[in-house]
Amino acid sequence: MSLAALTRPWADHSYGFLDASAKRELRRAMVKAIAVPGCQIPYASREVPMARGWGTGGLQVTLTLVNPRSVVKVIDQGADDSVNAASIRRFIARVSGAAQSCDTTEATLIQSRHRVPEERMTEDQILVLQVPNPEPLRPVEPDMSRARQMHADADYARLWLVLYEQIVRSGRVMQGASYPALVNGRHVMTPSPIPRWDLPKLHRARHLTILSAGREKRLFAVPPYTDVAPLVFDDIPFKVEDHGGLSCYRSGLSGYFMNEIPMEGGAIRHEVSDSELGAKAIRHAEASGDGPAPTWYSEGRFQHEPA
Amino acid sequence: MQPATALLPSDDETRDNAAFEAIMWALSRPGAPRDLPQSGLAAVALSLIDGECRVFLGAKDEVPASIVAGTGATLGPPETADHAIMRLDEAGLADLPRLPAGSQLYPERGATIIAPATIGAGQRLRLSGPGIEGTRDLALGGIAPALWDLRARICAYPLGVELLLVDEARLVALPRSTRIEVL
Repeated sequence: MSLAALTRPWADHSYGFLDASAKRELRRAMVKAIAVPGCQIPYASREVPMARGWGTGGLQVTLTLVNPRSVVKVIDQGADDSVNAASIRRFIARVSGAAQSCDTTEATLIQSRHRVPEERMTEDQILVLQVPNPEPLRPVEPDMSRARQMHADADYARLWLVLYEQIVRSGRVMQGASYPALVNGRHVMTPSPIPRWDLPKLHRARHLTILSAGREKRLFAVPPYTDVAPLVFDDIPFKVEDHGGLSCYRSGLSGYFMNEIPMEGGAIRHEVSDSELGAKAIRHAEASGDGPAPTWYSEGRFQHEPA
Repeated sequence: MQPATALLPSDDETRDNAAFEAIMWALSRPGAPRDLPQSGLAAVALSLIDGECRVFLGAKDEVPASIVAGTGATLGPPETADHAIMRLDEAGLADLPRLPAGSQLYPERGATIIAPATIGAGQRLRLSGPGIEGTRDLALGGIAPALWDLRARICAYPLGVELLLVDEARLVALPRSTRIEVL
């Protein structure tokens, strides 16, 4: 095999920013990630025009999967219109020609930081979560090699110890985001810093979830219809945030995950975290659009099957 | 500012992207066939394999050695291969246990096997596991019956190999996480 035979014809750009070899490497990692749900698969993590820690892992997965027929939605803490979300969405569209959307039901590829949309995702949708720290064992075992051995042995006792200590010290589980969960009965994963509220949405979901950490160079996946069980004690059940009774001051929605907005004088009010859900409700109230599609939560309660 | 060039994927990029979309969904829904952008094993192989891979090529009539070598991949014996393009007939099964199945420390080092099969006719199988709501029935032909016992021995989860089975322009995947009952 000569060098000339391995040389590809000159091209003025790489479609989707990443070169073909970077994409193949990511594809090979994704094959193994889907085959071993929840297991962290190393990958090279190429440079993208964004600082590591700002969603480069999610971006690389999205850029590998995207094609001109894709419809891309990007979420940052529930919002479609933050600088980070809008910039990533525009960048993906610019390098791929894919359509942009804020509508969860319309999107084929949803890249998200720290939230799963409230509207139910369907069979042919892909959720790409940006992960800052992919290693659930890091707080209890900073040595990566030892953590790998613990995953090999399925030795997760120290994670239960963390939860136990929280209960002893504070009377309840204090783990708010990144709640550790056992995937397919074998590997414990951190579901990225999504709130506890969003974790049940990954359990036996219809959609495919890929979680990717660019700075830490690892990705993992939750295929459809895969068990995702939060670590709990038999006598202390898993609880989501108590947001069922809150309502949004702008859209009037209640029973969804809310952002708390501090007001002058110490008062607070709430705004629905999934911004497009709120916008849909407002448009519907003004009779200028359809209301939200079926959601995972109804009146603040999680429902596995649509009502 | 809009870029001066139209951002259209090349033909190769379109094929690799579509082939991987089929592979990804086939692995996400084991036993459910997906359409490939073109007929044959080559499209699947080309979307995954490049100069960083070591390939065991056991089915030269399915994918010519020149195509695999043209990706820059190193051709070699099963023991060192991360990808295998092979037949799963009686003769091919002898090579299957020689492929790496990963380890508890590095499950991802198990091989990916690309093989021809007949989808929808032959041995009936009942699949369950991640990606499957309840169970899914599948018939697969062109495969030696001894494969299923052998696979069960190799795929001691999370160790194992992935099977990407190609029937002309259709693909079925059996990841190691799938439990297979032979009916």
